[in-house]
Amino acid sequence: MVANNNVAMENTLPRPDVREKVTGAARYTADQFPGNVIYARYIRFPFAQGKIASAKLDRARKVPGVLELELDTDTEYQYCGHRMGHVVAESSDAIYDAIAALNIKYDIEKGRNDPKKFYDGPPEPSADEAQQLSEIYDKADVVVESSYETQIQTHSSLETHCCVVDHKGDSADVWASTQAVSGYYGGMRGITGLKDSTLTIHSEFVGGGFGSKFGPGPEGRLAADSSKKYGRPCRAVLDRREEHLDTGNRPGSIQYMKIAATKDGKMLGGRVDCQSVVGWQPGRGGCRNPSLYEFGDIVRTESDIPLSAGLPAAFRAPGFPQGSFALESMMDELSAKLAIDPVEFRILNETSNRRKKQWTRGAELIGWKDRKPDGSQNGTIVTGYGCGGAQWFNVSGDCGVDCTIYRSGDVEVRVGIQDIGTGTSAVAVDTVCDHLGLTRDVVTGKVGNSDYPNGPASGGSTVTRVAVPALKDAAQNAMKALGEIAAKEWGVTMRDIAYKDGQFRSRGGESMSWREAAGLMSDEKLSVTGKHNRDFWGDGTSDGVQFAKVEVDRETGIVRAKKIVVVQACGKPVNRLTLENQYYGGVIQGVSYALLEDRRLDPQVGGMVNADFLGYKIAGSLDLPEIVADFDWNEDDTGARSVGEPVTIPTSGAIANAVANALGVRVRSLPITPQRVLEAIEKGGKS
Amino acid sequence: MKPFEYAIADNSSGVTEAIKRGYAIKASGIDVLDLLKERITKSDKYVSIEKIDGLRGIERDGGGVEIGPLTTLREIAESELLADAFPALAHAAAEAATPQIRARATAGGNLLQRPRCWYYRSNEYNCLKKGGDRCYAVDGDNTYHAIFGDGPCHIIHSSSLAPSLVAADAELEIEHRGESKTVKLGSFFEMPDRNIYNENSLRLGALVTAIRVPRLPKKSAWIEFREKASFDWPLAACAVAHTGGSWRVVLGMVAPIPWRSEAAEAILSGIDSITPEIAEQAADAAVADASPMSMNGYRVKLARAAVRRALLHADGKEFV
Repeated sequence: MVANNNVAMENTLPRPDVREKVTGAARYTADQFPGNVIYARYIRFPFAQGKIASAKLDRARKVPGVLELELDTDTEYQYCGHRMGHVVAESSDAIYDAIAALNIKYDIEKGRNDPKKFYDGPPEPSADEAQQLSEIYDKADVVVESSYETQIQTHSSLETHCCVVDHKGDSADVWASTQAVSGYYGGMRGITGLKDSTLTIHSEFVGGGFGSKFGPGPEGRLAADSSKKYGRPCRAVLDRREEHLDTGNRPGSIQYMKIAATKDGKMLGGRVDCQSVVGWQPGRGGCRNPSLYEFGDIVRTESDIPLSAGLPAAFRAPGFPQGSFALESMMDELSAKLAIDPVEFRILNETSNRRKKQWTRGAELIGWKDRKPDGSQNGTIVTGYGCGGAQWFNVSGDCGVDCTIYRSGDVEVRVGIQDIGTGTSAVAVDTVCDHLGLTRDVVTGKVGNSDYPNGPASGGSTVTRVAVPALKDAAQNAMKALGEIAAKEWGVTMRDIAYKDGQFRSRGGESMSWREAAGLMSDEKLSVTGKHNRDFWGDGTSDGVQFAKVEVDRETGIVRAKKIVVVQACGKPVNRLTLENQYYGGVIQGVSYALLEDRRLDPQVGGMVNADFLGYKIAGSLDLPEIVADFDWNEDDTGARSVGEPVTIPTSGAIANAVANALGVRVRSLPITPQRVLEAIEKGGKS
Repeated sequence: MKPFEYAIADNSSGVTEAIKRGYAIKASGIDVLDLLKERITKSDKYVSIEKIDGLRGIERDGGGVEIGPLTTLREIAESELLADAFPALAHAAAEAATPQIRARATAGGNLLQRPRCWYYRSNEYNCLKKGGDRCYAVDGDNTYHAIFGDGPCHIIHSSSLAPSLVAADAELEIEHRGESKTVKLGSFFEMPDRNIYNENSLRLGALVTAIRVPRLPKKSAWIEFREKASFDWPLAACAVAHTGGSWRVVLGMVAPIPWRSEAAEAILSGIDSITPEIAEQAADAAVADASPMSMNGYRVKLARAAVRRALLHADGKEFV
């Protein structure tokens, strides 16, 4: 007996919680105001580096509503935003008033804000490496040497890092803005000592998590400790400034590349040095350069440049967007020097057969034939085309699913998985609906609660991929459970019945619907579970390509992305709209990274000057190009592939290449601002 | 945000009373809200003037137009009268901010808004404008700061409406202590060496009661350039108007006040029709005396482009 395995999923239903989200009825962690709540916040060092010389806390402690205020006056502080202490109070205003009433004198040091001041170029190769390189360059017909820079990007989750804890002593409810319900549960268990169902994590709606929201973090600990101490629910919610300063970021980079190639377009090798611009101590850097193409024999070095700033955290495809900007720019610089078309050049050096086909498809969809030679257009507004590729690993994983069938035939599916925007409830409900040939009025989903079975973290683009096989397994078990009831009713064995399109049928020609079969249940409800099932697993990697079309205003330097094509392997789609959403979201974040976002530090005292959404610029609705989401999947795909991260990797490289094509000069630094475009035009260096 | 006392006046004597008792004025509160949340405002008492009659609307007034200070940006953007007779102003209003903000933000508030300088707006920097001893933009990140003027403060004036109104020789009617007087908008804004703590000559307790353009310009245009297409302050802008027989050129977002360029106007003296060559010359003249800071030289090119395009656009010529 086989379930209803639809081949084509034309599901264009909006996600089940769309109404709640769009009307504001959805309650996120930051929206939770339990009765009698108290507030907790950190006090943060305002400069790049230094110490507290003296501090008078009395006035601050006496502000009405303040329950406690602590400050660590011994530590050497290393960045603007560094936690120095905390305040717990009856209101958020009391906290700000208390912080304003602090009388602190600082010994300030200059700090490190400009990575270029600490960059000495790529390290000297060893004698052997130098020999190796010289042999490579000797064999080459062309050699291109360039350096590329990328900025620090802050995660900018719309819902800041926050936690609300109602600690009742022997149990606790925790509302968490997290991308890992089960990981957060583990962290909170460690903090509170509570376990099993005495501790519940509520994470039904999460306003963004791009890699920095796995565990409770300092704010989770602060909320839990304060709630326990005062016997009242406690909110620890970061404001936007703190969110930019101290919740992680994508490190910047200075990437030196010198690559050799033959005149028929094969790369031979060369030198790659990646220096990541990180926070106040080395670590958490890394650029995925080289990758994707057959670069040949590479002498590679890597190091970190620390700045007086908050530490990095994993950020959607960590290391890849940075590396991609540099290596895709280099690919175009090489192909230009070789006078080979950039798409052809990539195909010549490709490591993936799938991507070879994607290049051709993407080129067609963007209108690559309209691409003019670099810098050949007259007029003020010039158009350019560029491209870049992506790959993503598809890891294994497990997930638990609980499923209840009611005598009415209604089905409720429960998974403990968070929803950072993936559309977890759509994944849960639509997978079961598709597998059982049922509609959404029959199946509902509940997500984001640690009382439900554990699922994957939103990390590595694994939620849909890992949940789908377990959901199908649960659906299969549900079908078997009702199948047994139908078989019994007809006096036949399971081998004599089939299930398709919502109907059980016997060999003898009898049939009954899902609801009819459920109506025969002896109990009011029955429960089944699901777990990883190899039959439903999606195989393969997540190759992808992106093509960008841009317009550049040569008089002002302003770049507008006009069209972006994403051809991306996705496995079997579950819900078209949520899948498209991932493509769109990845591209939008890529456009924003390419053209706008930049964490800027004041050179004098080291604060972040643009720690809000006015100065830290994120692409808005009018900044968006037309985005063509081209799903690349096979008819025999049984499961989902990872999609969320590969779709944000190549955008900046594709845009940079398009700009260089339009102008005939290249910007080798992100973001590609009017300032940088005008400087490149003035310098006149050819691409 | 800071807690504050809030009163609502429904007539101007109510406002006067409130002002006597130390209340600051709030129209729609777009900027006041920011100042409260950023905790840079000194006021903890606000009186709303939104319910006062007669302060809202766009009316013909002889050969000119009178705009009430409570008129919203959206009303200005959608005004048929202005679209026809003063397109620079309507266009500037339409490009500002977001639809939600334009529905509430007022013309008066737009003219009187405080600067967006990130050192001014942040509590951590006790800058000159807040009573401190230095301008942090000088040795700091001045990418978005002034390219004209010699300091000591290097803010840019962020009003989208001001340059067009100055170009059209607009006036303000101001009521203070029961008396009404008229001030030319061109002299209303003040450079930092004259007034460091505010950007204009409005006295404490005074109320702008009307914005008047005595003579609608024959031609006008507004050009602005932004990094973001959605909700961003321009990098540079220019309003031009042909009024009283001559061209007036006013740059926006590049100086502590709307920056009228007499040098550009001199090039245009006696000229009625704008050719590409004249536009280039005027644009060059407009930025000849620019004094960019360490990180914002690129904005000189943008300012020049804004002047060039605004002139051609106003004269109905192709401008890109």
